[in-house]
Amino acid sequence: MAVNTLSILVIVLIILAIALAFSIGANDETLSTLVGAGVLKFSLALLIGGIAVGAGMFSFSFAFVAKTVGADLLGEALVYTDFMLLTVLISSILWLIIGSFAGIPLSSTHSLVGSIVGVVFVYSFTQGVVNPATAFNWAKLNNVILGWFLSPAFGLIITFSLFRILAKTYLSRLKGLNQIERSEKYFKWFLLVAVIFAEIWVGANSGEALGILYGLLDNGSLNFESYLLFAFFCGISSCFGIYIAARFVVRNLASQMINSRPSEGLITQLSSALILMIATLLSLPISHSHVIVFCIIGMSLAQKKEIDYKGLGKMAMYWILTFPIAAIVAGFIYLGFNSFGLT
Amino acid sequence: MEEISDKDLKKLSIDELTHLFVDNINEQNLILIEGIEFLADEKFDKFTQNLKYVIETNTEVRIKKTFESKIFKSKLMFSKADRLKLFNKINDIKNIGEYLANRLLLYKVVFPDKEFKLQIISIMKSLRIISNDLAEAIKNIGTDLSKAHDICEDIKEERRKMRDEEWKLLNRLYNYDMDYLSRTFLYLKNLIEDIMMLADHMKNFSEYIQFLAIKYLIFK
Repeated sequence: MAVNTLSILVIVLIILAIALAFSIGANDETLSTLVGAGVLKFSLALLIGGIAVGAGMFSFSFAFVAKTVGADLLGEALVYTDFMLLTVLISSILWLIIGSFAGIPLSSTHSLVGSIVGVVFVYSFTQGVVNPATAFNWAKLNNVILGWFLSPAFGLIITFSLFRILAKTYLSRLKGLNQIERSEKYFKWFLLVAVIFAEIWVGANSGEALGILYGLLDNGSLNFESYLLFAFFCGISSCFGIYIAARFVVRNLASQMINSRPSEGLITQLSSALILMIATLLSLPISHSHVIVFCIIGMSLAQKKEIDYKGLGKMAMYWILTFPIAAIVAGFIYLGFNSFGLT
Repeated sequence: MEEISDKDLKKLSIDELTHLFVDNINEQNLILIEGIEFLADEKFDKFTQNLKYVIETNTEVRIKKTFESKIFKSKLMFSKADRLKLFNKINDIKNIGEYLANRLLLYKVVFPDKEFKLQIISIMKSLRIISNDLAEAIKNIGTDLSKAHDICEDIKEERRKMRDEEWKLLNRLYNYDMDYLSRTFLYLKNLIEDIMMLADHMKNFSEYIQFLAIKYLIFK
């Protein structure tokens, strides 16, 4: 392993990538349905969820979303420089911190890809060696952005359809609370399987940390063995993120979910896991939070419950704004580096 | 009602404990109603005996404690709060009944005339129907929510009829040539109002059961 030969900047990038993996775990709310349904003891649920996310992140690190973020979004003639990667990290983290303080729910995926676009544009304009028109793999970038719109829509449709089928074929036949409770006892265990399945794909689709490492692999700063080792560390880090830090988010959300039935949680988690799986296998980084929000909307529509369209519209506006703002922020930061001759 | 040992109580499910509890409370309710009918007939000994039974009986306390220890251990989060609320609402019937019994025992009243007696007995008949229907509805929550919902409609209908009778009765009471600060007047006024309070609680309870039916039968 070539750690000794790595520059300080590469080490900083690796540490930041591992820290980002921790924060991915720390912000993961997937387990709240499981905890809210009382399937497992809190600590055990966190441990199982953490292992599933870490395993998913590491298992799919050799290609898929990590490769898209770390290499495939760029045009053929272009690889990331270490400062480009640093800028992408700083910009996406900065925008997420601003969002958190302002209480705005943002997507880390949109923020990351937006930052990449901003940095690459500035790089191609300032360096002059790359044509901005060929700086991107436009087909890939279009697919990624298309995926951002399609994944929530499909999340809604799949949840709605699956739940209507389940309701029509089974749930509507349950006559009394005893029968409902008995059947929900079984659904609890299916929910456990669905949440583990979902966590694996949440980890697999979290391209933020591994994308940076893949960029280092692609530009030759890391060899494949080192990459796999650090990807493994990222997996461990995300596992710790869930176990140590996600407990606050999970506890908070779980307490709001105690009224929802395990069968509802099962369908929501299963739908979002399916979407994440398909997106990962197509190497498309998507926003898990967007998908889950639309899955919940699908569930509400299937149950004919009211939907807060005003809140949803506000959220959608922030989602749309994240990409351009992250791109602009990243562009300015990279310009700042350039002014000091750091490219 | 047959005594059940603590060991056997612990073997019962949450739903079975609720059934046992509601049977217990309903039995006490019927004894209270019968006691008021004895009062109307001026059978004061039987009246006192029935009302003291309602006040002194505490077999339901053991059921309540067993239920509480079970519900807190229950892993079915989505229905836990509803089951607990249901149980507490049954317990409230006991509390109101006990309050009513204590107030009625303060004085032995002789009803002003036969018409008044008959109207009280008619109200008691409705209250008995409501109490039995409510027990039936509660027992159906576990097995047939639709049926429980329908029974609650009957309860609401009976309560409506009962309310008309109560207003007529109050109207009658206020038009007697009587000292309005007399014990008899105050006693009878309180009796009618306390019966209304118990009936109102049961009607509100039936609405809660209907809410549960709608909540859990959302896919129907």
